[in-house]
Amino acid sequence: MNALIIFSLLLALMLTGMPISISLGLTVMTFIVTMTQVPIESVALKLFTGIEKWEIMAVPFFILAGNFLTHGGVARRMINFATSMVGHFHGGLALASILACSMFALVCGSSVATVVAIGSIVLPAMVAHGYPMRFGAGVIITAGSLGILMLPSIPKVIYAISTNTSIGALFVAGLLPGIMLALMLAAVTWYIARKNNYPRLARMGWKARFHAFRKSFWGLLLVVIIVGGIWSGAFTATEAAAMAAVYSFFVAIFVYKDLKLRDVPKVLKDSANMSAMLLYIITNAVLFSFVLTNENLPHQLADWLLSMNLGQNGFLFVVNLVLLGAGNFMDPSSIILIMAPIFFPAAMQLGVNPVHFGILIDVNMEVGLCHPPVGLNLYVASGISKLGITELTKAVMPWLLTMIVFLVIVTYWPWLTLVVPQMMGML
Amino acid sequence: MFNKALNHLEEILISFLMAAATLVIFVAVVHRYLAGVPYIQDLALKIHMSWAQELCIILFVWMCKFGAAYGVRTGIHVGVDVVINRMSPANRGRFVIFGLLAGALFTGAIAVLGGTFVWDNGAHHAFLDLIGQPREDVFEGPTTPDLEWPTWIVYSAIPLGSALMCYRFLQVCWNFYKTGELPKHDESHVEGIDEQTPLDVKEAKQ
Amino acid sequence: QAPIVIKFSHVVAPDTPKGKGAQRFKELAEQKTGGKVKVELYPNSQLYKDKEEMEALQLGSVQMLAPSLAKFGPLGVKEFEVFDLPFLFKDTDSFRAVTDGQLGADLFKKLEPKGIKGLAYWDNGFHIMSANKPLHNVADFKGMKMRIQSSKVLDAQMRALGAIPQVMAFSELYQALQTGVVDGTEGVPSNFYTQKIFEVQKHMTMSNHGHLAYAVIVNKKFWDGLPADIRTQLEAAIKESTTYANAIASTENGRALEGIKASGRVTIYTPTPAEINEWKKALMPVHKEMESRVGKTTIEAAYKAAGFVAPK
Ligand code: NA
Ligand code: NA
Repeated sequence: MNALIIFSLLLALMLTGMPISISLGLTVMTFIVTMTQVPIESVALKLFTGIEKWEIMAVPFFILAGNFLTHGGVARRMINFATSMVGHFHGGLALASILACSMFALVCGSSVATVVAIGSIVLPAMVAHGYPMRFGAGVIITAGSLGILMLPSIPKVIYAISTNTSIGALFVAGLLPGIMLALMLAAVTWYIARKNNYPRLARMGWKARFHAFRKSFWGLLLVVIIVGGIWSGAFTATEAAAMAAVYSFFVAIFVYKDLKLRDVPKVLKDSANMSAMLLYIITNAVLFSFVLTNENLPHQLADWLLSMNLGQNGFLFVVNLVLLGAGNFMDPSSIILIMAPIFFPAAMQLGVNPVHFGILIDVNMEVGLCHPPVGLNLYVASGISKLGITELTKAVMPWLLTMIVFLVIVTYWPWLTLVVPQMMGML
Repeated sequence: MFNKALNHLEEILISFLMAAATLVIFVAVVHRYLAGVPYIQDLALKIHMSWAQELCIILFVWMCKFGAAYGVRTGIHVGVDVVINRMSPANRGRFVIFGLLAGALFTGAIAVLGGTFVWDNGAHHAFLDLIGQPREDVFEGPTTPDLEWPTWIVYSAIPLGSALMCYRFLQVCWNFYKTGELPKHDESHVEGIDEQTPLDVKEAKQ
Repeated sequence: QAPIVIKFSHVVAPDTPKGKGAQRFKELAEQKTGGKVKVELYPNSQLYKDKEEMEALQLGSVQMLAPSLAKFGPLGVKEFEVFDLPFLFKDTDSFRAVTDGQLGADLFKKLEPKGIKGLAYWDNGFHIMSANKPLHNVADFKGMKMRIQSSKVLDAQMRALGAIPQVMAFSELYQALQTGVVDGTEGVPSNFYTQKIFEVQKHMTMSNHGHLAYAVIVNKKFWDGLPADIRTQLEAAIKESTTYANAIASTENGRALEGIKASGRVTIYTPTPAEINEWKKALMPVHKEMESRVGKTTIEAAYKAAGFVAPK
């Protein structure tokens, strides 16, 4: 009964369009005042201590690093390198942007940042070369979602926080699925481009390729720093985020010099703005899950889910459906913060591997980012391409369907996610 | 005039907190690395850095509380606006105002609750100490474990940040009522930084 | 009539000595009061985390906790840091002599102005050292990165041994030891076993240099407001569960050590009396250094009760 009241109130408040963080907070406050003995001051305490957790600090660090990478010329050089490698195939520039998105995703923890970084450079070029804008946008929206699947990823950090799963293991677990998704997207792109006879670029010689690689080297080195640093014990996963921020600052200002020192305060301010928004949702979601725990709801819901005897496969199917549904209305961080504590206990009892479960949720979030009504990648791409949401929705369909197929593969083939962390001794 | 100064202060504060936290962790990691290097380690051992994580967390929590207020002004706090966007402009306007006032209500309540909490958690004692009238029944608040800073000072980010956020909600609400405009955040753009130069590549000769 | 609810929150798993002690208290309390009291257990930081549980208790959001004694320093009762002094206790009896005696009661008294009442001390055994290389002599600590919990005494202790203390969240410890972000740590065997620390460490030294204990505490206002008969029944429940918790801590630590040995991954070393004496000498400056924080009288009272003899 209480569960019904809590969730109805939350849903009603959210549908009024107020910030998700505020609707979470107001739900909690209303509930505490009217239905529990919990002293109301503990709400204020939780608002501080809710994010007083070291792992959460990776979120602002990765956002800062992402902003330096996006505006510091790293993306541009990665695109040049990718174009030199695959530009001569059918749909060459589009394939190059998938490759560039994958490379950028290796160092950046946000899908939106990936779409912005690669899209804002490559989309104008694609139009100039005679590709339809909607084709380019469709590619970028979906390939950009790799940003939260490959290595560092803010949704993974948030999942790790809410379920006490190893961040390092989640990072590397996304590697193989990421490569697979990139290949699947590339295959679809290549097929469409060949069918419509979209332009190809001149094949580059190995000398030119090497030159392009050398220029993008400093950006790619960040992969070595993040993975190598964690693996060799130079720093922890959270510290890796801070090191990534410092390194990308250094590369943007002193190596590539695409960013001026006087631009740095603006990047800091913008990163602080974005991080504060996320941290504020996290705080209120922590508050929300505190109320749920106080009422013992996650366990009751887990018991209820288990009592339906779905088995592991059926359970994962239901999880996918719910998450895809939630992806219609909310952003990844809010979905994970609200849903993970509810599904996680049941998943553990059914013997799902926590890392596999995390990647499965992550892929669901990727899909949600790419379709309306709420889909950040779509909105950002619409901003860059000046195309309407309806048109973009049609444009993204072939790749979106591919992602759903990919989601099924990830869900029912745990080996794909678990093999790399197992090889690295993280599981 | 007052608003302009406040805006500046807010922006400088959150940018500074972001940079400071990053620097602290960078230095702590370098310090730990150097402490493993022979010869340098004797020097490194003399420097205490055990407080780095705690300081970083405090800096980020402060950044979060004040940045959230800044975020109201820039319109970055995301909501589910699918439903209200399909309504008539008048009805949509009502819901927008309702949402903004709800934000003001929540943050205002937190400011008061947080203020009470901070007061009971040591600020009261500190105040009585200051005016030289200590009392038995008012206890001295706890400190943070590593830096040993009084937690009431650290926690005061809640009432201060929430009060500012409440003010921002009211400000945005008033502007919306007057002009019908809401601040809108553009994800693809960092303010003041030039647009990316588009790519220039050669096409294959057919 | 609705039962009186005691929310008992703690930060460890239900199957640890503390978790089992809490479970036993719940059973005893509910049985002894004939169901007039209902104890709700919240293990694993479900409700409140390490850093906030004390404030939550003071606010009355939760009625009962069992934090480690190191948590009372930040609360403003630095005298409790005496329990962290290295090699203060030679064995469990020596520890119980302190907690069951006048000093234990006096320290609990100091919590009352903070709105907290101490009910019992729960023993959890002696700290041992672990690392990826053997730690026999003090010189072996040179330059080692050792993970500690936030504690000024432990910080000073690692420095006195020549190691670099690293404050680190417990959640990051396993991976940090595995990759080598830190070289070693210290703790009780039962934690090393349940948290699988032994999988990522090659050597352990039975130094018994430190001691881990918890205090069962309640919100004073709540406790004083209970009907007298119920309070007496609860006190009896606390007393019985304390005996149980102390006994189980020692068996669990023994079992954990057996388990670690059986894993074959760790070399366990018991230092000679001469080596221990060398450690003690190196660590005496820590006792001196802490006088300004803990208070000379408290340290001396502890010396006397514990039967502590300074190393020669
Ligand atoms: Na990524
Ligand atoms: Na969506």
